[in-house]
Amino acid sequence: MRVELKHVFKSFSHNSSTLEVLEDINLTVEEGEFVCLLGPSGCGKSTIIHLIAGLERPTSGNILVAGRPVDGPDPSRTVVFQEAALFPWLSVLGNVEFGLRMAGIPPIKRRARALEYIRLVHLSKFIHAYPHQLSGGMKQRAAIARALALQPAILLLDEPFAALDAQTRSVLQNELMEIWELARPTILFVTHNVREATGLADRVYVISSRPGQIRDVQTIQVPRPRHAEDAALLTHQRKILELLGEEVEKVLQDELGERVHFPEAQHAVPPGHAHGMHL
Amino acid sequence: MGKPMNKFEFLKPAQALFLLYVLWEATAWVFPAWPSPRAVFGVLADNFTQSTFRAALAGSAWRMVVGYSLVILVGISGGLLLGRIPLIDRIIGSFAVAVHAIPGAAWVPLAIIWFGMTERAVIFTILLGACGIVMVSTDTGIREVPPLVARAARTLGARGTNYFWFVVVPAAIPKIVDGLRLAWAFGWRALMAGELLTSVSGLGQLLSQVAKAGQLDQLLAIMLLIAGIGIAVDSLIFKRLEHAVRVRWGLV
Ligand SMILES: Nc1ncnc2c1ncn2[C@@H]1O[C@H](COP(=O)(O)OP(=O)(O)OP(=O)(O)O)[C@@H](O)[C@H]1O
Ligand SMILES: [Mg+2]
Repeated sequence: MRVELKHVFKSFSHNSSTLEVLEDINLTVEEGEFVCLLGPSGCGKSTIIHLIAGLERPTSGNILVAGRPVDGPDPSRTVVFQEAALFPWLSVLGNVEFGLRMAGIPPIKRRARALEYIRLVHLSKFIHAYPHQLSGGMKQRAAIARALALQPAILLLDEPFAALDAQTRSVLQNELMEIWELARPTILFVTHNVREATGLADRVYVISSRPGQIRDVQTIQVPRPRHAEDAALLTHQRKILELLGEEVEKVLQDELGERVHFPEAQHAVPPGHAHGMHL
Repeated sequence: MGKPMNKFEFLKPAQALFLLYVLWEATAWVFPAWPSPRAVFGVLADNFTQSTFRAALAGSAWRMVVGYSLVILVGISGGLLLGRIPLIDRIIGSFAVAVHAIPGAAWVPLAIIWFGMTERAVIFTILLGACGIVMVSTDTGIREVPPLVARAARTLGARGTNYFWFVVVPAAIPKIVDGLRLAWAFGWRALMAGELLTSVSGLGQLLSQVAKAGQLDQLLAIMLLIAGIGIAVDSLIFKRLEHAVRVRWGLV
């Protein structure tokens, strides 16, 4: 299924202040395409994932999936959340079976399917373990299995491999590639890692710092399997790093600036009294 | 880990108990009318050989089992209804809070009017004395599904009744268990009050009997037993259950 964001704006309101998070985002992921989102921390990448998942509504603009506006979450669009978000009262098996059970798949079939995806993320020895007994990376792998087990048409991954060591990360990247090549889901993949993005994606969107805007799109036409030393990949990486460098600098400036202005913006304290309320 | 060092940490529970025992022994030595611990424990041990005492103990235990089962049933289902159906919450929500605010003993007079000096009156007292807290905590629990869990569940296709039974209810279990633990303590107190005032054969009624007969050693022995059972059930069952749940739900 094709995903399309048209002139999407998103802001969050707290009390009387408004935080502009996304500004005029235009983005498409073609059916069966693998697209990565790159951008500095806080630029709104997770927000984009939540919007497409139907967990949030845009302030304005349209989000279309297969040509239809998104109206709430749907199991054909599963999410691997940045914070795993496993159900603590269910074992790994229970977590992976959860979506299948909600879909009404009979017990024997859903058990088999769950075990298949647990094997894929190398957690077979931990099927009966509970989330509190798993490491951060293992939780993330369980969450990946849980999202894959529903065999979604659209897979939304929010920094799924950030908590993993390089070894496991590359094994899982390969496995994700295999699944993608086999079942061809539409994938939107958020990452901080430029190499990961260029290694996996057909296209990479670079998002600017808040308010998030599309800064650049890189189409990566290097055939798969890709090699890390591929000259074309390195060119893409250099280009992206350059763009990101500027953005990260902006983030830091912005945050330092924000801290200085914080008291005035929040409480409209008269100048000079910002730090002396109780003295 | 990181627990602040307590000045009296060197005093282990067993040592503290021993210290209390010694103090008690000493006061009994100073005031001869005050029974010594050895005498009290002797009376207590002797009690267990008496069939009337054992019958009273069994009676109390039985009423507690029945009463507490009703508390679980009424408290949890009531709390679920309150949390799930706004209309019911509107109508009896404040009623549940009011029930929860009335101490168990205060239900006894009403229980006696409705059921007479019967076992049913005692069970009614336990139910009313303890189900309010279970209702209130169940209600709070199902209103507080962690947002992360709620999001994950919705993207995995959970909605309606499925969402309620497979997400909302399990997410509320730590709160429900907290409520059940408090309800045990409230129910145990209500049982004693009920038995004391209705004279249904049980530990509470024994208490009023020996008090009337002026048997101070018996009185202390029975009070000790009441405290002992209360603490034992709480720490052997409820504390462990609560801890196990908190660990699994990732709250510790
Ligand atoms: N529910 C919300 N209410 C208020 N503000 C929010 C909410 N969700 C996100 N934000 C704000 O929106 C901005 C973007 O958040 P988002 O989580 O999308 O960033 P991100 O790009 O995923 O960052 P990171 O790379 O650190 O995960 C942040 O400033 C955040 O504080
Ligand atoms: Mg994020």
